[in-house]
Amino acid sequence: MTRLGAVSAIVRKDLTEFVRDRLWMVLTPLALVLFAVVFWLLPAEEDATVVVGVTPGALATALDLAARAGGGDPQAEGLRLVPFESEAALIDAIDQRRRVETGDDGREQVVQVGLAFPSDFLGAVLLGRETTVRVYVDASVPPELRGAMAGAVREAAYAATGSPPPVTPPDADAAVLGVDRAAQPVPLRERMRPLLAFFVLLTESLALASLLASEVASKTLSAVLATPTRVSDVIAAKGFVGTTLAFGQAVVLLLVTQAFAFGANPLPLLAAVALGALLMAGVALLTGAAGGDFMTTLFLGVALMIPLTVPAFALLFPGSDSLWVRLLPSYGIVQAMVGAGTHGHGFGVLAGHLATGAAWAATVFAAGGFVLARKARTA
Amino acid sequence: MTDEVRTERQPHEPAGPAPAIDVRGLRYAYGDRVAVDGIEFTVAPGEVLGFLGPNGAGKSTTIKVITGQLIPSGGEVRVLGMDVVKRRSEVQARIGVCFEEKNLYTALSGEENLRFFARLFGIRNPDVAGLLRRVGLQERGRDRVANYSKGMRQRLMMARALINDPQVLVLDEPSDGLDPTSARTIRDLIRERAEAGTAVLLTTHDMWEADELAHRVAFLHQGRVYAEGPPEELKLRHGRRAVRIRTRRDGQIHEETVPLDEEGASQRLARSMDDGELLTVHTEEATLESVFVQMTGTGLQ
Repeated sequence: MTRLGAVSAIVRKDLTEFVRDRLWMVLTPLALVLFAVVFWLLPAEEDATVVVGVTPGALATALDLAARAGGGDPQAEGLRLVPFESEAALIDAIDQRRRVETGDDGREQVVQVGLAFPSDFLGAVLLGRETTVRVYVDASVPPELRGAMAGAVREAAYAATGSPPPVTPPDADAAVLGVDRAAQPVPLRERMRPLLAFFVLLTESLALASLLASEVASKTLSAVLATPTRVSDVIAAKGFVGTTLAFGQAVVLLLVTQAFAFGANPLPLLAAVALGALLMAGVALLTGAAGGDFMTTLFLGVALMIPLTVPAFALLFPGSDSLWVRLLPSYGIVQAMVGAGTHGHGFGVLAGHLATGAAWAATVFAAGGFVLARKARTA
Repeated sequence: MTDEVRTERQPHEPAGPAPAIDVRGLRYAYGDRVAVDGIEFTVAPGEVLGFLGPNGAGKSTTIKVITGQLIPSGGEVRVLGMDVVKRRSEVQARIGVCFEEKNLYTALSGEENLRFFARLFGIRNPDVAGLLRRVGLQERGRDRVANYSKGMRQRLMMARALINDPQVLVLDEPSDGLDPTSARTIRDLIRERAEAGTAVLLTTHDMWEADELAHRVAFLHQGRVYAEGPPEELKLRHGRRAVRIRTRRDGQIHEETVPLDEEGASQRLARSMDDGELLTVHTEEATLESVFVQMTGTGLQ
């Protein structure tokens, strides 16, 4: 009896059991369809333009001209100035989130910020009188943008009077580290893809864990280990089945969501997904062996999966990947998936993330194998 | 009568120089709890050894060591002359195990279960149909085990234990809770295999079954073997024999029990039977269970 023969026998048996399990045969395609639908329902483009309504309307044109005279281009910098006839109309547009035409291209967008200048604004600033400009903001506008708008009003006053600010401002030269995605942000759909792929891996991981738990609980594992089969053969077979199933499902989702199109780098992306599948197979070994029954396995599985999905969630909220997130086993894999899938990076750039992901996947898989081996001895 | 029974139950093949199972000073502990404490016994080829003891006596642990699932803390276990620790795979290839739990793959059919285990033993063309026929499952071989009754599952377990044509059979409660027909099938198979030269280690709670099948029995209690020998010999050596006589005298029914192991038992028996109108005579023989209770102070259940 070769060990390969035992492994292949267990693999065939596991696959037969999997396809005969009604629960997973329903959940697996359902999860794929659901995640694909979620992906395609999400917006394909990210609009990072800030639409600023200005009243009186004539000032919008004046501000735009003043900005251009200063060498700037408000539209290229993601700013659109829209004139409004009255302050009431401006408030109504912001409050009701009305879509208004914002440029010559006929685009209609929601006005997020409104600047209501008093009718004697120019006269007041020229004569040095105190005057107030009302800044209206939609509730969803972040605080930093509100501050920026107040600054913009002061800049407008200087521009209108032709007077310099009280001090000569220094030039600030911004250097963007990494991919400069100004005015071309990653759409939500693209940012969700790694998360959805991780959810698919999670589903398959729970399927393997459930099969393994039932094998431990029904003591069929004891029957297998009373033959010349070794625990390591069982671990190898379960690992192969789990990794293959999870990898296959994730690749199907990536194909359906066109992850390999538009500049993605397929090989590093596949490598990252394979590592993710191995990581999840390890989690399945851990939870399936330790769980003992379906509900406990499900609980343990979800409890472990939640932290593992955090790095993928962090992609939705840039800047939220703090140190503890970077230490999570799935962080390197998610970063590699994004790097290869969204930015088209190759193995050279992603080597660090892939190496970290591989180390974590191997560690978690080894831990799962250890727990299964212990369970086999004591069951 | 006793001698005749013992003669009938002599192992088919007398024990050779190397017993099929040879356990010497076996010890196993789960942490601080000693499950098996220096037990010794042998099983010859063609012999059925009944391994009797209550739950927690150490039977399952002993079986796990013999079948290579546990590494002993001490002592030595040899199967077919091979050390089970050093040559585990070779030993396992020659052992058939029938577990107490019905640990079959219920999503697979009976045939698929047998073929799967045959592949684990490296058997390319197993006689699945023949085995299913032998346990009376030829008509249900393609049905999923999930649809099998308890008796059918147990018979399939027995077929699985025989898939590698083992030289040693280890059977843990093989007929526990079965209907009479299924239990008879299992017992017939055990006899058949023993007659073919297979050494059988049989654990059971069923004293009648042990009495019926085993050439020898070993009483296991608290991890130790308390007694070992042919069932009849144990019963004669440790059991209590008596005759219970019921007579009618002066219109009253009298009952007297005459112990046969006491001095003057024959005269007392004759006297009791002559004393009035003889109504009934019952012999009371020791059972394996009563012997076990007498020796260990505890029951088997």
